[in-house]
Amino acid sequence: MDTLPQLIEEDVKRLDDMLRWFMVGTDATIALIIDKGGFLITFRTGNNMAEDLDVTTIAALASGAFMANQTIANLVHESNFNSIYQQGDNNSMFVTNVDNNCLLVVIFRSATGIGPIKFYASNTVNQIAAQMKVAKDRKPGAGVDLSALNLVDTRAVFQRKQN
Amino acid sequence: MAIINQAAKELQIKIVYYGPGMGGKTTNLVQLHDHVQTGSGQKGKLVSLATSSDRTLFFDFLPIEAMTIKGFKTKFQLYTVPGQVIYNTTRQLVLRGVDGIVFVADSQYEKMPENVESFQNLAENLKTLHISLDEIPYVLQYNKRDLPDVAPVEYMEFLLNNRDVQVPSFTACASKCEGVFETLNMITRQLLQKFIAQNATQPVPA
Repeated sequence: MDTLPQLIEEDVKRLDDMLRWFMVGTDATIALIIDKGGFLITFRTGNNMAEDLDVTTIAALASGAFMANQTIANLVHESNFNSIYQQGDNNSMFVTNVDNNCLLVVIFRSATGIGPIKFYASNTVNQIAAQMKVAKDRKPGAGVDLSALNLVDTRAVFQRKQN
Repeated sequence: MAIINQAAKELQIKIVYYGPGMGGKTTNLVQLHDHVQTGSGQKGKLVSLATSSDRTLFFDFLPIEAMTIKGFKTKFQLYTVPGQVIYNTTRQLVLRGVDGIVFVADSQYEKMPENVESFQNLAENLKTLHISLDEIPYVLQYNKRDLPDVAPVEYMEFLLNNRDVQVPSFTACASKCEGVFETLNMITRQLLQKFIAQNATQPVPA
């Protein structure tokens, strides 16, 4: 199965720059790059974000919604269900495909309209996909040195609260 | 596959609780959410996409941050799948990107055919993702041991843990939080061991 490449600091910095330009152009509330498995890769917030959003949960739910949409596309033999748009009274959401592994999720004020979001997203998606390809071609072997963990005793990983 | 984010110094791991309907998958996550000891901000909300009768419709989702290893935060994302047979497409979606599996079996005698069917369904769904049960870490949990008319553990082992390599299995009563943490800690241990083994075989770039 094709998987998300390992991302180094330089990759994420460039992704952040892309999102920053996207936010400037669209005045969106928040934009997230997520993995189709539900993992959050990175995100940027806009000036109009009034409250902290639970980005971890948004990533999980948005990927689930998009992937469900993809499955419907397969059922109706449609190859081009590559985005979903949900319009609300105050806030709207746009989720669009980046590549085999990633999605771009945008939450924005409904008053903005979907036009500029789609316009700027089309360019940003290409940039993100190109950066992911760079990361994939690099094939960094660096992982996390987990040897510091005492795996003989994993009770320390998740412990039950003492009542 | 787990995501190692070198920039954010994060290791993100996805664990999916799988098994027949009404077996206790959601209960496992509820108990973990209620009883896990974490620092401030390390445990997210438990999100359930359920039907009006509290049956899982899409998935349950619980993010937990576990520990820091050499500067890397390890973030676990725990999912359940809907157990009902008709939701197989949904189960396939939730399995995408999975790193480890907890198979929650119902210990009641009458549920054995459903356990076996669900386990076979797991293997088939993994196959569609080009993953084999031989290569993905998983553990078995024999839940509902407090109910009458439960099958002996040896019988459940014969039914569900009869592959070439036997995996760890735990008896549990998830509704009382018995066996819940033991199961999660074992799959965590297996996953981390796998990552260590993988990293050991990969060169570190300059």
